[in-house]
Amino acid sequence: MRKSGILVCVLLAGTAGGCENGSGGKAGDTGATDGSMTGGAVADPTDGGGGGEEASCEALRPGPSPIRRMTRFEYDNTVRDLLGDDSRPAQAFPAEEEAHGFNNNADALVVTGLLAEHYLNAAETLAEKAVKDLPALLGGCAPESEGQDVCAGEFITAFGRRAFRRPLTSEEVDTLTATYARARDDFDFETAIRLTLTSMLQSPHFLYRVEFGAPLDGVTDVVKLAPYELASRLSYFLWGTMPDDALFEAAASGALETPEDVAAQARRMLADPRARVVVRDFHMQWLHLTHLDNLEKDSNIYPDFDPAVRPLLQAEAEAFVDHVIWDGEGDLDTLLLAPFTFMNGELADYYGVAGPKGKDLELVELPEGRASGVLTLGGVMATLAKTNQTSPIHRGAFVRESLLCQVVPPPPDGIVITPPEVDPNLPTRDRFKEHAMDPLCGGCHVLLDPVGFGFEHYDGLGRWRDVEANKPIDASGELVDAQVAGAFDGVPGLAAMLVSSPEVESCMTRQWFRYAQGRAESTEDKCTIEDLGGEFADSGRNIQALIVAITQTDAFLYRRALTGEGGSL
Amino acid sequence: MKKSTLSRRTLLRGAGGACLALPLLNVMGGWDKNRLKAAQHPAFVAPKRFVIFWTPNGNVVEHWRPTGSEMAFKLPRILKPLEPHQQDIVVLDGVDALSAYNGPGDAHQKGTGQSLTGTELQEGDFPGDGGNSAGWADGISVDQAIADVVGAQTKFRSLEFGVHVYGANVGSRISYRGPAQPIPPENDPEAAFDRIFGDFEVDPAKKARRIAERRSVLDAVIADYQALMPKLGADDKVKLEAHLAAVRDIEMRLDSEAEAGEACVKPKLGKVDDPMKVANIPKTGKLQMDLLAMALACDQTRVASLMWTNSATGKPFPWLGIPEGHHELAHRGDDDLDAQEKLTKINTWYAEQFAYLLAKLKAIPEGDGTLLDNTLVVWVNEHAKGNDHSRHDMPYVLAGKAGGAVRPGRWMQLGGEVPHNNMWVGCMNAMGLPATSFGNPAYCTGAIDFG
Repeated sequence: MRKSGILVCVLLAGTAGGCENGSGGKAGDTGATDGSMTGGAVADPTDGGGGGEEASCEALRPGPSPIRRMTRFEYDNTVRDLLGDDSRPAQAFPAEEEAHGFNNNADALVVTGLLAEHYLNAAETLAEKAVKDLPALLGGCAPESEGQDVCAGEFITAFGRRAFRRPLTSEEVDTLTATYARARDDFDFETAIRLTLTSMLQSPHFLYRVEFGAPLDGVTDVVKLAPYELASRLSYFLWGTMPDDALFEAAASGALETPEDVAAQARRMLADPRARVVVRDFHMQWLHLTHLDNLEKDSNIYPDFDPAVRPLLQAEAEAFVDHVIWDGEGDLDTLLLAPFTFMNGELADYYGVAGPKGKDLELVELPEGRASGVLTLGGVMATLAKTNQTSPIHRGAFVRESLLCQVVPPPPDGIVITPPEVDPNLPTRDRFKEHAMDPLCGGCHVLLDPVGFGFEHYDGLGRWRDVEANKPIDASGELVDAQVAGAFDGVPGLAAMLVSSPEVESCMTRQWFRYAQGRAESTEDKCTIEDLGGEFADSGRNIQALIVAITQTDAFLYRRALTGEGGSL
Repeated sequence: MKKSTLSRRTLLRGAGGACLALPLLNVMGGWDKNRLKAAQHPAFVAPKRFVIFWTPNGNVVEHWRPTGSEMAFKLPRILKPLEPHQQDIVVLDGVDALSAYNGPGDAHQKGTGQSLTGTELQEGDFPGDGGNSAGWADGISVDQAIADVVGAQTKFRSLEFGVHVYGANVGSRISYRGPAQPIPPENDPEAAFDRIFGDFEVDPAKKARRIAERRSVLDAVIADYQALMPKLGADDKVKLEAHLAAVRDIEMRLDSEAEAGEACVKPKLGKVDDPMKVANIPKTGKLQMDLLAMALACDQTRVASLMWTNSATGKPFPWLGIPEGHHELAHRGDDDLDAQEKLTKINTWYAEQFAYLLAKLKAIPEGDGTLLDNTLVVWVNEHAKGNDHSRHDMPYVLAGKAGGAVRPGRWMQLGGEVPHNNMWVGCMNAMGLPATSFGNPAYCTGAIDFG
């Protein structure tokens, strides 16, 4: 191995003392963004509260409710449902900034000049298209007979209610009417409708979920969400779009007041195909599969890799998630342990297994020990690999961060970080072992590499292998610094530990919480997270039940009251 | 009346003429100097422009550092493509990105997030190599500080171009409007084209109509945000204030757009190959540089940046016969000759791209000289050297004269421990800003004088 007179480490290394003592280096998990606290490599953020939990869980503790703007996914869905426009204009918008593994983190979704231009252009284009069928847009009101201003008034009230997802206030009606009237005087009726629509599509009440809440008897620092606000929370969480007529109706008729009302709506919505799209979106982000479309491999090492397989690997993961959540057991255990996956003819060829021949994806049972749910999906394994070899480090980090919700500190500065070179005579684990011996690196790598070694049967493309460098694969590994810890052999051994780990169970609830609320859990959410964990366990760790349970939390049903200047919401 | 430096007729010739060698109109080749009336008028003072050219993963110092003396220097292998422009460049040697040794983040995150900001990153959860380690940069970037002054009169305050910039995190952003306000680059030449020229309208009546319509819409939108703002909590207010500022900015520029319109015609964009395919990077890059040059020439903006891939990019260079990822190569040791050769090839290729951009700017006549004479271009890397992440002796190259404020044709060798903040203060001064400090003042000891 080359040395250049400097310490050589592998991609991740512990600061001296950072990992050895379990303090996990710095608490990097963004106290800066929303006051959340997550500890080091092995800390659980909800451990920090200390005693007195019983008493403190009585009080309403909603945690922060930052204002949330639509993601591109939500924008496209919303204009589809609002205007019947399925051109997906937001695909041209700049990508969301990611935080905590998800692209819907409220703190990261700021609006730049570029995005504001896109909002303007998209609104203009959408409005131009919409006024081409003016009678439909005006809901049947005929300006010739009923009068232009009458029809404009009806349009503002009716369309505004759907665009802002609540009835407009009288001030809002007045303002929009004034906008319309000015444009009608300057231009003409149709233009005035178009421009009013263009401005509504850039309103904060359209682009953001603005929440003021409704007062609660005897409570000053917390408000409950108003019915229309709850309708939007439900529709964006479960469907990634605006409320449907049933939700609007429930909000209007007082049928969206109690937690039971909310749960009933959540169950109704989960039965709708729109929920599948959101559940897929969660899993694609949680499993890092959003990086699939950019997957590159070194053609010297993997001559068989064809970029055309990227969408197939994604389709496999989606089919698997769809099946488990909606058609199968629906639980965490199956997500982690299922001995099957989905393939079509092309994927079966890619994996080199006897399977389906056609274009459609089919459920394929793999030989014992070869498939373990999402852990062994080809897309996951190929993404968590280097271009020319596997990456025990990334696979270990995935287990730590995505499944255990732990935080692994970054390597120290000023060291040469180089992955061991591919050597046809030396298996990956032997090449990585040399590096991890270094005391500067070993502190953190002991958290990662021995976990990642358990995946060594899956090559850099995610295909099963029995042999590397002419030696049989050694997939033995060890998980340390975890509640369920110990040595294991291969993914089945690791998966068995993970599935029995309370940390993994709690992590699943936290990942879903982050996705649902658009923020990381905070210290204030301690009781919420514990309650969720309890509900999740009681349900047999059913994901659909977890989704419903999230709608029952303080964080979902309530928010902090506005305290004016300096108030953090 | 108009601030644009090129007459509409000139551009018409450019657009319709025989100079469509590239898919995008080749603006440089087809202009007739005799027709540049506005630019040659004695009273004409060309605007200054500022351009950042950013590449990742460090350089190969021994093939980058010139030999000879300040004025009589020989360009080494990597910089050899710049030979035709030797009298237009300043090879700046001995500047350290000192701030980028401090604060949260791994070496790549700090090197990138601080390259144009000169201040520590925020705490946050963007993973370094496997660990959570840094947030966004914690201050305005130099291009934006300059744009706040020189970009006030153009349709765009600044334009951010990218070539295969992947991800949305601190390693894939260089420009910041302010703390934690990253500006995403546009990777797609087609989208960039649409943004700059898509709504371009030459018919004065139609143009006036569109501006009037937009003004009525934007006035309503602005009022909407203003009405909401007092009802929000502090954090939400900050977020919506940024949004409101962006909308106001568009509104303010409605008129400047009209002026620029008189000088330009809409160029034609040919077929664009998928910009997110690695193999298309060379083509994409050229299109982006064409668009950048065109946007400057048409005075659509006076500040631009071009980000090539992103920090620690793992992308290979198949067009150079290099299948390994850039980042992995950059980490190999000094005595790995194969890796050093490949890294030299990669950086030489980037120098060729830099030379291409300079040639484009130089081919646009302006006043008695060229557009490059009124421009300051800076080639920035996240690191000096990949395998130890060194941020000492950063491989900066400046080009252009910034209207006479910069004296090029030099290899400037500084004493070392000169913070890169000083370089940015020098650039701000050259661009006409009376700055005395930039970024975190703890890492700023004055200005490098480029005159």
